Amino acid sequence: MLVRDGRVVLITGKGGVGKTTIAAALALGVARNGRRVLLCETAGSTAVPRLFGRLSKGYEPVELAPGLWTMSITSAAAIEDYVVQQIKFRKLYHMVFRNRVMGPFLDAVPGLHDLIQLGAVWDMERKRERGRPVWDLIVVDAPATGHGLTMLHAPRAMMDLTVAGAFHDNAELIAGLFEDPGRTSILLASLPEELPVNETLQLHAGLGPLRPMVRGVILNEVHPGPVPDPPFYRSHRRALAEGANDAGLEALALADAGLARTAAQDQARVRLSALGVPLVDLPFLYRRDLGPELLLQLAAPLEVL
Amino acid sequence: MTEVLICCGSGGVGKTTSSAALAVRLAQQGRRVVVLTIDPARRLADALGLAGESNVAIPVPLADGSLHAMMLDPKRTFDEVVTRFAPNAEAAARILGNHVYQQASSRLAGAHEYMAMEKLHEIVETGRWDVVVLDTPPTRHALDFLRAPERMANLMDEGVMRWLVLPASRGGWRMIERGSEILAGILQRLVGERTITDIAEFFIAFQSLWDGFRERSVQVRGLLRAPTTRFLLVTTAAPTARAEALEFLELLLADQLPFGGFLVNRCASAPQSSGVPRFGAVPGAEGTVAALQELPERQRRLVAAQESAIAALVAQAPRGASVWRLPEVGAALHDLADLTDFARALPDPAELLQPR
Repeated sequence: MLVRDGRVVLITGKGGVGKTTIAAALALGVARNGRRVLLCETAGSTAVPRLFGRLSKGYEPVELAPGLWTMSITSAAAIEDYVVQQIKFRKLYHMVFRNRVMGPFLDAVPGLHDLIQLGAVWDMERKRERGRPVWDLIVVDAPATGHGLTMLHAPRAMMDLTVAGAFHDNAELIAGLFEDPGRTSILLASLPEELPVNETLQLHAGLGPLRPMVRGVILNEVHPGPVPDPPFYRSHRRALAEGANDAGLEALALADAGLARTAAQDQARVRLSALGVPLVDLPFLYRRDLGPELLLQLAAPLEVL
Repeated sequence: MTEVLICCGSGGVGKTTSSAALAVRLAQQGRRVVVLTIDPARRLADALGLAGESNVAIPVPLADGSLHAMMLDPKRTFDEVVTRFAPNAEAAARILGNHVYQQASSRLAGAHEYMAMEKLHEIVETGRWDVVVLDTPPTRHALDFLRAPERMANLMDEGVMRWLVLPASRGGWRMIERGSEILAGILQRLVGERTITDIAEFFIAFQSLWDGFRERSVQVRGLLRAPTTRFLLVTTAAPTARAEALEFLELLLADQLPFGGFLVNRCASAPQSSGVPRFGAVPGAEGTVAALQELPERQRRLVAAQESAIAALVAQAPRGASVWRLPEVGAALHDLADLTDFARALPDPAELLQPR
């Protein structure tokens, strides 16, 4: 089964490796094939609308491109939504939970902020219209490694903490979706460099029982090789350098640096292949700004997922 | 006064390496420097070749300067803080053994960040160093880290305390029930009775620490805005990293935190020579030569994109923000020798320390 044929895709990984870009490219690619996709940002992040030249900051889904919708989940909005569902009265919620006494009390429930954000995704997943799911696929741009792990483990953590009560039962329902490999996949975003790869391997280990949910690693910003035939280049480098002009010598130095990078990229691939999941390369783009056209370029290699 | 340089930014940009290189460079200039990482992934250990020990400043065997490094164990710091502020050993033990405390101190998002600020404060107080370089967790997490002192202070707001703790003698949960049947009913339905008891006990046990904690979080907030503190944004010119850097910059400015400048990592430099690259004649090398001839142009495009990206960043920053460029290093820096060589070639970071 392809990742895109499931219900939910969670993308996490080291900070700054391009999780948001990858999530947006994947979502845009799936939407292009005529499906309704919801791309959720977490922890109040609003980078996605910016990629489409928009400035929406809302909890309510907005459409960015045909079939591609986005929402920014904040724990405050998600908690309100959730508690109102539980106690039925919004007014009561504002009286009770947003006052100075109860607000901090609710904040003190460990892991609640993380759980409740997954809860918002869970809620979107089960929305139906005339018996059909409202969203064909939900892509979640989850927080970076440490926080991402906390979030993914939040349902279990809450169940361990509460043992009984509505939070416990809801955490169990939420865990049911996010621990079901038939409906949910996890993609790990990384860069083809030593430290990001270390972190990806640690992240994978940290997923513990959730490891079977990992369905791919995305290597972002992969640079093209500098020369078509590296062994040929290496064996003739000396001859090429003899009689080279200054520009030629500089070009050779650039090729050497490029080959060192290629070697590091290859090594990253070898180490990540130990995880036994598909590796997808996304090219480094020599561009200043990302927009929908560049995202579509990145969407193409993701179609294997 | 100890100068505090807080390096923020997303993880994939080489933040740990940049922080370490900055610390080494400052030490090479004769300052006594300590570099502190609060990243749970412990990447500074990789860069500096430090092994497991946490929460203590370990001397880094630098040939030409005084440098210490410290890795933070947030859970342990939290325990230390509790022990320090608790009136007696029994009170400390009660908190350390509380179920909610155990969850909160190791798992609660923001707890790590708060404890980093705590440690930072402690280090500044010793007066042992001229400069502290703090390597923070990746961006989005770091938002929590900036808010951590505030959040902690909110948690300790007297509203909660008055309500929960005043009738503490009658036992936590029962008293909530008396306080408000409705609230209690709702809460119980949400989290179950045991959790409420745990939370109430946690608050009650924490009561003895409150004053110490609250005072401390006010001090930490003050430290973040002190004239000797500067936030540095570590980034690269890559679009993904910049987007996060800008998000972070907005937050810093909104919170009126002192911004010092950008550390732009992995800067490429443009080829010096112009003209078509020529090479020695090699039979069958047409394809290779064609590819080689493309490389300077490819590099120029890269540098042009990079410089316009940096200019766009600077345009968003307050006037006078400095830019400290770090060159691209082929592979990661593996040991201290690599790091010191790398640092020695870096530009003088004095501008980052200039008073604003």
